[in-house]
Amino acid sequence: MSIILDHVNYRYGEGTPLETAALKDVCLQIPDGQFVGIIGHTGSGKSTLVQHLNGLLKASSGRIYFNGEDIYDKEYDRKKLRSRVGLVFQYPEHQLFETDVFTDVCFGPKNLGLDRRETELRAYDALRKVGLPDELFYQSPFDLSGGQKRRAAIAGVLAMKPEVLILDEPTAGLDPRGRDEILGQIRELQTKTGMTILLVSHSMEDVAEYVDRIIVMNRGSVMYDGTPREIFTHYRELESVGLAAPQVTYILHELKDRGLDVDVSATTIGEAADTVMRALGR
Amino acid sequence: MGIVKASDVVYEYIRRDEEGNVEGITTAIDRVNFDIAPGEFVAIVGHNGSGKSTLAKHINAILNPTEGTVWVDGMDTGDEGSLWDIRQTAGMVFQNPDNQIIGQVVEEDVGFGPENLGIPTKEIWERVEESLRAVGMYEYRKHSPNRLSGGQKQRVSIAGVLAMHPRCIVLDEPTAMLDPSGRREVIRAVRGLNQVEGMTVILITHYMEEIIHADRVFVMDQGKIAMEGTPREIFSQVERLKELRLDVPQATLLAHELKKRGVVLPDGILTGQELADALVGKKRGQG
Repeated sequence: MSIILDHVNYRYGEGTPLETAALKDVCLQIPDGQFVGIIGHTGSGKSTLVQHLNGLLKASSGRIYFNGEDIYDKEYDRKKLRSRVGLVFQYPEHQLFETDVFTDVCFGPKNLGLDRRETELRAYDALRKVGLPDELFYQSPFDLSGGQKRRAAIAGVLAMKPEVLILDEPTAGLDPRGRDEILGQIRELQTKTGMTILLVSHSMEDVAEYVDRIIVMNRGSVMYDGTPREIFTHYRELESVGLAAPQVTYILHELKDRGLDVDVSATTIGEAADTVMRALGR
Repeated sequence: MGIVKASDVVYEYIRRDEEGNVEGITTAIDRVNFDIAPGEFVAIVGHNGSGKSTLAKHINAILNPTEGTVWVDGMDTGDEGSLWDIRQTAGMVFQNPDNQIIGQVVEEDVGFGPENLGIPTKEIWERVEESLRAVGMYEYRKHSPNRLSGGQKQRVSIAGVLAMHPRCIVLDEPTAMLDPSGRREVIRAVRGLNQVEGMTVILITHYMEEIIHADRVFVMDQGKIAMEGTPREIFSQVERLKELRLDVPQATLLAHELKKRGVVLPDGILTGQELADALVGKKRGQG
């Protein structure tokens, strides 16, 4: 049970002078239940990559296996794949359209052909999972705050009961608390349900804090793949491709340069505080 | 009076249901007063829905106050006759660069504003050149905007505003959609405008690291200015900021965490360098 990408290539504008390779020989294996962060500068191929995973884009060459089945096989039910791999786009609140939040969340499961009872149970469950309070269920989605709207939109995807949830920059434009709330809820969802989660992000601090594994994309290829600690030791290389390390990593380097014996591979505030305390001999 | 001044500004809007019946009145801005001096760098932060964007829209007369007055370079924004002068004095840059760029070529896009002002062609080109140079995008002048990165596009948007020769530039979350290098580029360009060109800058953002170089920070909450001060004064109140749904730079957060664990450190540490200064002294003091 996992997602496997086997030598996946994607070129758009094939056969035209504008032909561009957006993914180049990508090989990845994502086991069940992992929380994966995908980082890369604008145009590095992150969004193209995740759109392959639920069949929105079809690879020019290479194979993708979902739970051992080749998704490009003629017999494979790609429509079903879309409900098994839920994709939450950037600014998903722009896709809310129903008159109230509950009806909006029901839209997905209803389209899966589920009966009314199952649809409503799933919608209710999904709204609870994203932490939206009951009193908002029958409000117009347009009367909610930015963070609430976004959670309603995520609930719409969760109501399809996907096995894999992909979020493309779920916190863009949210205030710090809204950001922490959404990421906290995603983490809780992941630990409680064991769902595989892929988080596309521009925030190095967020991926350092939340994910188990980071995939760094650059020019359509996988540049690094490892734990946050491993990835951010390459901060110079990351800078050269438009990324960075979490700020706390730079702070630790500064401390180290000034003679404090700290472990510069710490990537979160908690880890950094631990190593500074140790360096101070406390 | 400074370049932008607000006096007892209130902005209310009426909420209506689908049939158009009045449901209630929301006070988005609630008695706000400020006075921004020419050349100042002011940052406005606040949670989603705190009123910061609504406030920014008052500065170039996209919105007009329900009560009170906003003056831009001495012009009352409620005075329709000065509308174009106000917009030219206070230029605005928004979140999404793709919604702000219209030209097929970078230099055409930047020239669009001054062209609409009826500036002679020769001067338009001079303005385009100086604006693109100011944001470090001159070498891209012949490029197509849709081939640029997010940070580059946003710098072209800023150049487009600069070409109008504003005295003040208001940026509403200009980096929200950008990757780390894009954010760095845009913030560097904005600081350059402020420090080198002496441009008045009003920056709205959710990224606390972007405001540590501001002269003054306003923290908005429920339509009011809840806190005001230098970045150091503001960030020394970590718990208060958390209550207001905000954050502090990671250096400040790390210092706060160390203090909780018993390390004695000064308040208001903003950068890694300041933290290093404080800690290295400590290590030596211990001997």
